[in-house]
Amino acid sequence: MPFLIEHVTEVVFTIVVVVLLGTGTLIGMAIARRQRRERYFQRIDQVRERFGPVATALISERIEYQRGLEALKSISGVDRMHMLEQLLVSKPAPPDQIPILRKACQDLGLVKLWQQEVSGQITPVALMSPQGILRRVSRLHFLVRAKAAENLGIIRHKESWPLLVKALDDSHADVQTVAARALAAIGEPASFPMLLNRLQRVVLDGSDHLSLRTMKSAAVSFPLKQADELLPLLAALNGRLRFQAVDILREMVEREAAREAEFQLDRQNLSPELTELFVTKLCFDENPDARARSALTLSYLLDLRATPALVTLLEDPQWFVRLHAVRSLAKRKFLSQADAIGKRLTDSQWMVREAAARTLMVFGRAGLDQLTRHFLETQDRYSREQVADEMQRAGLLPTLLFCSIWEPIPTPRSGPGSGNWQPGKPTSS
Amino acid sequence: MDWRQLFYHSMNMFNVVIVSYFFVGNGVYTLLMMVSLVSVWVHNRRLAYQGLDDIRESVITPPATIIMPAWNEQEIIATSLASILKTDYPSLEVIVVDDGSSDETLQRLITAFKLVKMDLIYRPRIPTKALRGFYLNPRIPNLLVISKENGGKPDALNVGINMCRTPYFCTLDSDCLLEPDALLRLMRPIIRSPINTVASGGIVRILNGCDVKDDRVVKVGLPQGRVERFQVVEYLRSFHFGRAGWDLLGGTLIVSGAFAVFHRESVIETGGFHLDTVTEDMDLIVQLHRWAVHNHRKIKMSFTSDPVCWTECPSSLSNLARQRRRWQMGLFQTLWKNSEMLFNRKFGLLGWLSFPFQLYIEGLGAAVEFLGYFMVPLALGLGIVPPTLFVLFVLLGLVYGGFLSVGAVLLEELTYRRYPKGRDLLTLLIYAVIENFGYRQVVLFYRFQGLVRFITGFQQWEKVVHVGAAE
Repeated sequence: MPFLIEHVTEVVFTIVVVVLLGTGTLIGMAIARRQRRERYFQRIDQVRERFGPVATALISERIEYQRGLEALKSISGVDRMHMLEQLLVSKPAPPDQIPILRKACQDLGLVKLWQQEVSGQITPVALMSPQGILRRVSRLHFLVRAKAAENLGIIRHKESWPLLVKALDDSHADVQTVAARALAAIGEPASFPMLLNRLQRVVLDGSDHLSLRTMKSAAVSFPLKQADELLPLLAALNGRLRFQAVDILREMVEREAAREAEFQLDRQNLSPELTELFVTKLCFDENPDARARSALTLSYLLDLRATPALVTLLEDPQWFVRLHAVRSLAKRKFLSQADAIGKRLTDSQWMVREAAARTLMVFGRAGLDQLTRHFLETQDRYSREQVADEMQRAGLLPTLLFCSIWEPIPTPRSGPGSGNWQPGKPTSS
Repeated sequence: MDWRQLFYHSMNMFNVVIVSYFFVGNGVYTLLMMVSLVSVWVHNRRLAYQGLDDIRESVITPPATIIMPAWNEQEIIATSLASILKTDYPSLEVIVVDDGSSDETLQRLITAFKLVKMDLIYRPRIPTKALRGFYLNPRIPNLLVISKENGGKPDALNVGINMCRTPYFCTLDSDCLLEPDALLRLMRPIIRSPINTVASGGIVRILNGCDVKDDRVVKVGLPQGRVERFQVVEYLRSFHFGRAGWDLLGGTLIVSGAFAVFHRESVIETGGFHLDTVTEDMDLIVQLHRWAVHNHRKIKMSFTSDPVCWTECPSSLSNLARQRRRWQMGLFQTLWKNSEMLFNRKFGLLGWLSFPFQLYIEGLGAAVEFLGYFMVPLALGLGIVPPTLFVLFVLLGLVYGGFLSVGAVLLEELTYRRYPKGRDLLTLLIYAVIENFGYRQVVLFYRFQGLVRFITGFQQWEKVVHVGAAE
């Protein structure tokens, strides 16, 4: 008897029928889904058309608050809360409108609902909405908790920070991530130590589901005046913790510095304890990552010991520490350190040489003089290549050619061009 | 045993191969479909709190470089680059590598972006062919164009990696259009993951039939051509439940190099893109897995279905043939080269499920199915298979393919619904069903040709000509 014949015919026939029925079902599901989604979007469009202008006017205070609120309260249906959510928080509101948005969400009962959802409560009202399936299936409930946490962050609901701190230990990583983000958006000072505590656990526990980047991103959103909370981490025995804390502070400082042209770290914005820690310990830390990341903070410190510490880092045995030190010195106030930076043009690591060339270019004409002089005088081929590379990238070659025609080759006392010569802007000639 | 008996036994054995191929292949595909239905749906719900603004504004977001190799792409290169430079990402660099084009690709770039030739330092960590020059415009500091001797796409990508300074790089084909926030979305799993995510792939969708304005897709529609429409269904199936399913099972072996992000140092440690296969993207993924296992590194590969890259698919059968032959040949080259992974317990699910699946179903399946179209009728003619069973089996093969394709269309409908017209949905469903009556066999023939070329040692890269199918 041939193989695979008589006994399988019925089985194959059954499978064919089942597959055909399955295909039909899938087609039906696709069409039904399309129709359902179309109805859903029609409903949203209707609500937006009717209540969208009211919501916008309410939040931008163009109509009387109570009148607007009453209008929004008149939205009915089992999906009422979902529609209100769509109207109010689906698009980011400008920062100045957040307070009134928050108040509206509170008065409409949305805040209470979100708080219940974040804490994992399943309310009868919530079960009636189209999203009910997510609430019923416990494994999918994290979607509801995370979205609720997100909404509380969007409206920056300060009173909800304890709930969000609790959500940092939620069973699902999504909720933890969104809670961290929401806490960063709210910026409640009391939540910062808890956030750092959670970060500490992420650093120390390699199996944590929460990513370090998420936690750092949240931590650096807090203002610099909160930096004292980092003291325990900066003084921790664990080198990785110290490194992360130094890095968080570096990001905080960098953000503040970007806002203010002549930014400096003094007693007003950084405590003496932190300053002391940086100039006496962290710049000599046994963890090279911590040393490297301390360079930028040192570069903004007004303390007289900061610059010598930075110059010491320029000679660090680890190349990436030297790299960070050179980059941190890329501020005009460090012009007096041009010679020390110039020495790094012959560094054994090309990234340090590159950073040194770029830093010197930040010093403007004086830095360029030094760079050009070095280019002409050095016997180090790699260093010369690096300088030429940077000059080309910055578009300085036409300028240098122009200058070499009209003026002598720069010497330590005389610059190569006229006063309006700017790095990165070749002259029209 | 006389020759007649031997022949009958051989035919029976082949029947067993055919039947096992059918059940294993469709069984795994069905499993992937089930898994993907849940995972893609949940992923879609998670987008409600994705926090793209947070990634965009965070100082912690790592910088990235888009590396775009180009070879004889004079018609589209300037438009593509203009589109890429508009990518929404906080710290982005773009490197275009002209792989010794014989047309005006480089010249058009120089003209369009006012580039100046410069003599920069090249420090190759991965060996490549010689470079001809660097082109920059100091006013566009995040753009670098490199001209080099022709060495193939992987070599061009390696040049880009050598010049890349950022911890992550994104490979992008020069004929692709990125959605503005696609890179942000692709980087999201990397940022959110506590494990080193060395590769993150997105979805590639078909540009044919879509309206493009200012280098952006403004209206999504189905192409007019039948060949292109079949490919829309194929892409949905491949990305929605092929890649999403394997990703959830932890068995990712393919990430489309047309649009993917990689961790630079990990790629350099594996030696970059290897030049000995024509599907360098799959090869790199396999190399990364091997490197991680041999060096005891904990890594992750991610596939997400919301970052979208639009690409032009072949509109003619001749171009389709070139593409599919290359894919099939590259698949075999990669599997052959990395055969140590097969049933190797060190590689876990990859070695025991993913790799054998790729080998048996995606690779050898081309031969089994192709020969099946001849052998099974022969068995019928010789009376080895009863006519009823023959008809039923052929029918099952065809309707099961339709079932899986319809599943992919449903998945699209449950999640992204990129084709807004109801008519487009119906068209997709129809094409999903009829795909198995003609188109599948044509593609199968090209795949079989790819297998033959692998066996005969054919090495040439067959270029697919782009005709500008977007409207």
